Amino acid sequence: MTDFEWPWQYNFPPFFTLQPNSDVRKIQLDAWCALVLSWGKSNNVSQIDVTEASSLPVFRNSAISRALPADAIAVVLEELAKRGNLEWTDKSKRRGYLFWRSPTEWGQQIYTWAQSTSRINTVSTLYEINQGDETASEEFHGLDIDVLMKALKALEASGKVEIMDFGDNQGVKFL
Amino acid sequence: MGSLFSKKPQSKVTEQDKAVLQLKSTRDKIRQYQKRSEATLEKDRQLAKQLLQNGKKDRAKLLLRKKRFIEEQLTKTDGTLENIEKMIQDIEFAQIEMKVVDSLKVGNEALKQINEMLSIEDVERILDETQEAAEKQREIDALLSGGILTDEDESAVEEELDALIAAAVEKQLPEAPSAAENPEVELPDVPETLPEPAKEKVKTKERVAMAAS
Repeated sequence: MTDFEWPWQYNFPPFFTLQPNSDVRKIQLDAWCALVLSWGKSNNVSQIDVTEASSLPVFRNSAISRALPADAIAVVLEELAKRGNLEWTDKSKRRGYLFWRSPTEWGQQIYTWAQSTSRINTVSTLYEINQGDETASEEFHGLDIDVLMKALKALEASGKVEIMDFGDNQGVKFL
Repeated sequence: MGSLFSKKPQSKVTEQDKAVLQLKSTRDKIRQYQKRSEATLEKDRQLAKQLLQNGKKDRAKLLLRKKRFIEEQLTKTDGTLENIEKMIQDIEFAQIEMKVVDSLKVGNEALKQINEMLSIEDVERILDETQEAAEKQREIDALLSGGILTDEDESAVEEELDALIAAAVEKQLPEAPSAAENPEVELPDVPETLPEPAKEKVKTKERVAMAAS
């Protein structure tokens, strides 16, 4: 949070009001999507709750006392969902996963890590991947468990891992 | 998720993998326990300090006793963790060894098959046949080039060649002039006086030129 650099729009009051002109609005939404994604990346936010969204610093700039209204937040989130950077957890759209990196990209990173540490053909627990000391320097360290699972499923779909799940033991085998 | 596996034709997860996963899960749980305990220890230490400051020595002592107990527990878990890590290593290494034995077996099988295909009699037969073929080839070659040259022929050829070369060399050399062939040529008398060196040179040159024609 401290070293996140806000874009200039963030201190530009009209940015917090959805523009009626469709061309301007498109540019505005582009900027909003970029802002939310880079903010999410810098703060390691992987889930956004719609009811809490209005209190998130990204949608509220107290320095210029501006906040994005709830309906505009919904529009931004919907736009993110349309671009594939957000996935609703359920149909009611109360909560969504924020993908500032797609599950496939995460999967790629995890697989690269597994390759570089010679883990192919071995088993790893989920805890080992997102919490273990071995991954402390990796970007996916501390990754939300649900997002991690999606990433691993994407890897499994391309035949690079096999997800193991029995009892309370969850893990993957890198292939 | 179980249904996901059943869809696949064959799972690459072996029983050993499952055992390793279970061990690793346990290891993770111990690690989590350790992290939790360490946090508790730190908190207890702070709390004991505070209690001492407030003059509650008995409670501080109680707390320290608890802290000590947790510390002992932690050392024990370290041992357990080591055992588990060792077990994981052992299983993983045993899997590798199994693969080594498997591949050695396959290699042995392949070698055997190849050896079966190549018996020594076969090799001898093939070598014999190759020899025969080479000889036949030589015969055909000889027939096509019109006759076999023996060593004698070879030396005759050499001789002829030498003769030709000698003739060519002789032709190139001019014949030496003889007095009998040119009786008219009169050789000058030996001068009685010593000639001047320059004149003498010119004379010799003239004579050489004449002889050549």
